[in-house]
Amino acid sequence: MNDNIKIEVRRLNFYYSGALHVLKDISFSMYKNTVTALIGPSGCGKTTFLRCLNRMHDLYPGNRYEGEIWMDDDNILDNDIDHIGLRSKVGMVFQKPTPFPMSIFENIAFGLKLMGIKKKTEIAERVERALKDAALWEETADILNKFALSLSGGQQQRLCIARAIAVEPEVILMDEPCSALDPIATAKIEDLITELTKRYTVIIVTHNMQQAARVSEYTGFFMMGKLIEFDTTQKIFTAPSDKMTEDYITGRFG
Amino acid sequence: MRHKKNPVDLIFLLVSGLASLSVIALIVGILFTLISESSLSIEKFGLWGFISSTDWNPVKESFGAATNLFGTAITTVLSILIAVPVAIGIAIFVTEIAPNFLKGPIGAAIELLAAIPSIIYGMWGLFTLAPIMANYIEPALQKSIGSLPLVGMLFEGTPMGIDLLTASVILSIMIIPFTASISRDAFNLTPAVIKESAYALGATKWEVVRSIVLPYSKLGVFGGIVLSLGRALGETMAVAFVLGNNHQITSSLFDAAATITVTLANEFTEADTDIYLSSLFYLALLLFLMSFIILALAKFFILKAERKYP
Repeated sequence: MNDNIKIEVRRLNFYYSGALHVLKDISFSMYKNTVTALIGPSGCGKTTFLRCLNRMHDLYPGNRYEGEIWMDDDNILDNDIDHIGLRSKVGMVFQKPTPFPMSIFENIAFGLKLMGIKKKTEIAERVERALKDAALWEETADILNKFALSLSGGQQQRLCIARAIAVEPEVILMDEPCSALDPIATAKIEDLITELTKRYTVIIVTHNMQQAARVSEYTGFFMMGKLIEFDTTQKIFTAPSDKMTEDYITGRFG
Repeated sequence: MRHKKNPVDLIFLLVSGLASLSVIALIVGILFTLISESSLSIEKFGLWGFISSTDWNPVKESFGAATNLFGTAITTVLSILIAVPVAIGIAIFVTEIAPNFLKGPIGAAIELLAAIPSIIYGMWGLFTLAPIMANYIEPALQKSIGSLPLVGMLFEGTPMGIDLLTASVILSIMIIPFTASISRDAFNLTPAVIKESAYALGATKWEVVRSIVLPYSKLGVFGGIVLSLGRALGETMAVAFVLGNNHQITSSLFDAAATITVTLANEFTEADTDIYLSSLFYLALLLFLMSFIILALAKFFILKAERKYP
């Protein structure tokens, strides 16, 4: 496997329970320390694809994968893959902010405790670092014990990013992380995403063409469960090779 | 343009207003009856004298509520202690662990259990549970933890099966379905995406339940426990069969006792003097007030908690 490749997907098919065939024969690679954007009309399978990468579908009975997803030297679709271990390597940020019903500090400490870190000083240190990395420290340093739900939506989403990076994953999955936020909060998150690529591989699902163009190096265009085109973001947005991609990014449908 | 009163609206207002007023009228009426009927006993024994006296002697016409309060408190608390862990376990299993094909049948079974009339629990308790308790469970308890210091005195005496422990077990079986189904509903209100967020951080099922689902739903679970408490407090028939109706305060759970409800159910027909009858009404008044206070406390705590966790 090419050293720069973090995740390589080979002929992935995915079926929801009831044999609903949602992802069809998907093959492409995501590169280390880059942002890969997944775009496409609603219901095209991009979120479903994202949730394959941390085996989220396994929480619900009846879902089925075919094919291979190689992350470093493991096929994460193998039966003996430890889901818990995989998910601690692959963080996820959801569409809407999902703070836990506890304090700001505890929200971030949650993942650290799951990792088995017990030393109070180490937890405090890593909470501070995660908040700094998520550009939230200045706003929250004095209110760490406040209930996380008292933060604004944009702050809550950055808290969720801080929570994801506190456990130092290798990959961060983002499922339309800005769809519930205003433009200013969105700009902050986008800056943050760019910053994150120094250490992480980021895969982001977005409905916002401009956002994909701004934050990502690579873009994949999904439609009806198929990956229509995958290339550098620049190529996709300036000279797409597929007619459907061109129609979509120029806003002729979708 | 002037607003004209629509006659249908007026009638509707009147009917619905009367309906809600009737609820208040009922409560006031019942309270009034209880107070007036028990006035003789209140005058004779006073509040503290009645509550603190362990005497329940129709012959000497000396009545005190302490033994009944003791029986009610012990059976209620013990049954809650037994029922809550089991009920929460059931609720966790049904919402988080059970495969889909099991969720429906178990849920239906819980609701069926709740629908069984309490007198049937009482009969079953007397003919099936009591012998099992007397022959197997109580001797085993006596042998194992009965010899420990302090705790040991809870398990002294001859295991008869007609006692505080059996009554508490019956009560707990009766309230498990309530607590379980309310807890299950509360657990189901935890947003899936919050649970997924915890799983996405590498949490196991148990960690998600303990750290996310339980804190998220503790208000609902607490509400379920309080409702069960109210039910255990007022339950009569199931307990009457297996408690033995003996007015005494004992340290052992293997002794017969009396609760307020059981005394009321058993002794109204025997109450041949005015003061006897009046004392029974006094007991009923105490039960009424206790239920009222517990419900009020529960509302207060839930309101307080709601303000803390919106």
